[in-house]
Amino acid sequence: MFVRKKTALWMLVALLFILPACSGGGSTGGASNGGGDDKPAQESKGKKDTTTLRIAWWGGDKRHEYTQQIVDKYQELNPNVKIDVEYAAFDDYWKKLAPQAAANQLPDIVQMDISYIVQYAKNGQLEDLTPYIGNQIKIDDVNDNVISTGKINDVQYGVPTGVNVLGFQYDPELLNKAGVDSIPENWTWDQYEEIAMKVRDAGYVMDGSMAPDIFFHYFLRTHGYSLYNKEGTALGYEDDALFTEFFGRLARLIKEGAVPSQEKLTQTKGILEESEIVKGMGVGVWQWSNQYVGLQAAVNRPMELAPMMGPDMEKGLYMQPSMFWSITSHSKNKEEAAKFIDFWINDVEANKMIKGERGVPISASIKEAIVSELSEPEKQVFDFVAAMEEKSSPMSPAPPVGSPQVIASLADLVEQINYGQMTPEKAAAAFRQEANGILANNK
Amino acid sequence: MFTILPGGADALRKQSLRANLTGYAFISPFVIGFLVFTFIPILISLYLSFTNYNLFNDPQWVGSFNFKKMFTQDQKYWNSVRVTFIYVFAGVPLRLMFALFVAMLLNTKSRMVGFYRTVYYLPSIIGGSVAVSIMWRNIFNEQGIVNSLLIFLGIPPVAWYGDPNAALGTLIALSVWQFGSSMLIFLAGLKNISPEMYEAASIDGATAPRKFFKITLPLLSPIILFNLIMQTISAFMTFVPAYIISKGEGTPMDGTLLYSLYLFRQAFMFNNMGYAAAMAWVMLIMVGIMTAILFKTSKLWVFYESKGGR
Repeated sequence: MFVRKKTALWMLVALLFILPACSGGGSTGGASNGGGDDKPAQESKGKKDTTTLRIAWWGGDKRHEYTQQIVDKYQELNPNVKIDVEYAAFDDYWKKLAPQAAANQLPDIVQMDISYIVQYAKNGQLEDLTPYIGNQIKIDDVNDNVISTGKINDVQYGVPTGVNVLGFQYDPELLNKAGVDSIPENWTWDQYEEIAMKVRDAGYVMDGSMAPDIFFHYFLRTHGYSLYNKEGTALGYEDDALFTEFFGRLARLIKEGAVPSQEKLTQTKGILEESEIVKGMGVGVWQWSNQYVGLQAAVNRPMELAPMMGPDMEKGLYMQPSMFWSITSHSKNKEEAAKFIDFWINDVEANKMIKGERGVPISASIKEAIVSELSEPEKQVFDFVAAMEEKSSPMSPAPPVGSPQVIASLADLVEQINYGQMTPEKAAAAFRQEANGILANNK
Repeated sequence: MFTILPGGADALRKQSLRANLTGYAFISPFVIGFLVFTFIPILISLYLSFTNYNLFNDPQWVGSFNFKKMFTQDQKYWNSVRVTFIYVFAGVPLRLMFALFVAMLLNTKSRMVGFYRTVYYLPSIIGGSVAVSIMWRNIFNEQGIVNSLLIFLGIPPVAWYGDPNAALGTLIALSVWQFGSSMLIFLAGLKNISPEMYEAASIDGATAPRKFFKITLPLLSPIILFNLIMQTISAFMTFVPAYIISKGEGTPMDGTLLYSLYLFRQAFMFNNMGYAAAMAWVMLIMVGIMTAILFKTSKLWVFYESKGGR
């Protein structure tokens, strides 16, 4: 079994050969990789003057399909540009992107999520788009509140592909059966709870509870706070009573039977077909507007969208960029990349293929131009988002580095509240301690 | 490259080098592959376990901080250790017992036995895969076959993956169900026990249980040891079923947060690569200790015919 001396020597030699090539992936590896990238670009430039762009996105089959069609169309219109595509599902996408970032091998254009953009921007992976805005990327028809969602510390790191807004997506007929004619205008949290109890008395459930991080954040905003502070170094609220009030109410609704038990929620989480509304037992769902079309298709009954409850909905509500297009800082063809992003935002034909699948388009004229192409539920979403856009306030700063861990910790604690294993008061204190511990790394 | 080697005895080395060159050339694909894809990554992971590394910035040396945090501050870590130990200590013995039971059933001379052997081995061929885990999810989901059966029997249905006490049970059940590979090894072992032993015992009037405990088990004990060690090691590293069934979160209440799943979460969801590397090394040591204990205690219960029972 033991390695012989000579073999050992040989292994040592091999090791010496290989080590310099492998180690220091950051510095030496990066440089040689960069060199590797250069060659094909220069060669092809010499021949035909074509540029090669790499673009990466996440999504499902439907998105992959039409995105590829748009890429093909762009190449047809711009024969000097060749576009290589890379795509994956959401989870896999980030697992692929992180090592590419570590090796300085990111594609020229990447689809960015709000929860990751700060991390990539802070680590110098993304290009400041300000010089391209108004030049290659035209944004004349875009609301300032919307374009500014791509800014981090006043630097434009991403252009939103579209916007979403929170709301209650429900089946009005089931609500009627519970003796509620309609969702009251400017409804409050108390009214919501009253209606939920009526729904329970009629033998249905109101909803499938709320995603803790997203809706707690909304609730904090209606009180003038935010989940994270501006610098991203600690939580953005001081008073734990807000936590207790919000999650206490959600737990109460579960306990009263107006919302399915936590056992059931955990079991059916993320499986649309098993949710109460699809089975005709639940009135609605709290989620982003872009999820409405898929839900409507699964429910297959007439549905409607209702705004969030207040008081102070206007302070809490914000237009959420569904995702961003960003250009990476080591891209060799930033101008060409910017032109492609412009095509994405401002080309009517392209947007007729997208149909708001990446959120409602940010350009007003594009929105008008494609309305005739929309299906009934898609139109509902466009109308709802347009109505809410007037009532919304600027978005809070994008979640800081470490937010996935903070959100996981919040979800754990909320689960414990809902299982009756922990009081909301204790959970509030525990969350503050855990979250501030994680966020302290950003100081 | 050779200048860096210590001088002297150069001629001798060259000669034997030439003689063995062919050999080295033939094994070089393996050696280089091993070095590049296994050995060096192992060393790098050891280095990373002493650093704070998020994939973006250069690793920062933090000494034993990761290990200290793991052992003294991280409740979730201990929870994942607890869950993993329950999973291993409940799952592996059950699985082996079940495998042995089925192996004995299949060790008969019925005509259809070949067919049955194939059928019982099937779960292991597809074992551990994503498809099986998804199927398992469907069997135990709200309106799955298990709950339908319970309702039929007048028992209220259980939210298997929602109930903190039941979720790990379904994972263990899945691991027991994938008993095929241990079963095949047991079957081979059973075939090796000579029928004369049983005949002789029968003539002496031994009952079936007595034959099992006095002949089958002792003669099979080396194979039990082998299966025990292999299954324990693989059980410690179980990942896919927990990932699929809990959607990667280890829910409910971290009841299915197996060690490897928590490691994965730290590495790829929170980008704490250094911490995850440290966890991996502790896992390696843990599995090593478990294996050593099994080997040591095996002297007490494993029977080797060749050594005259010692």
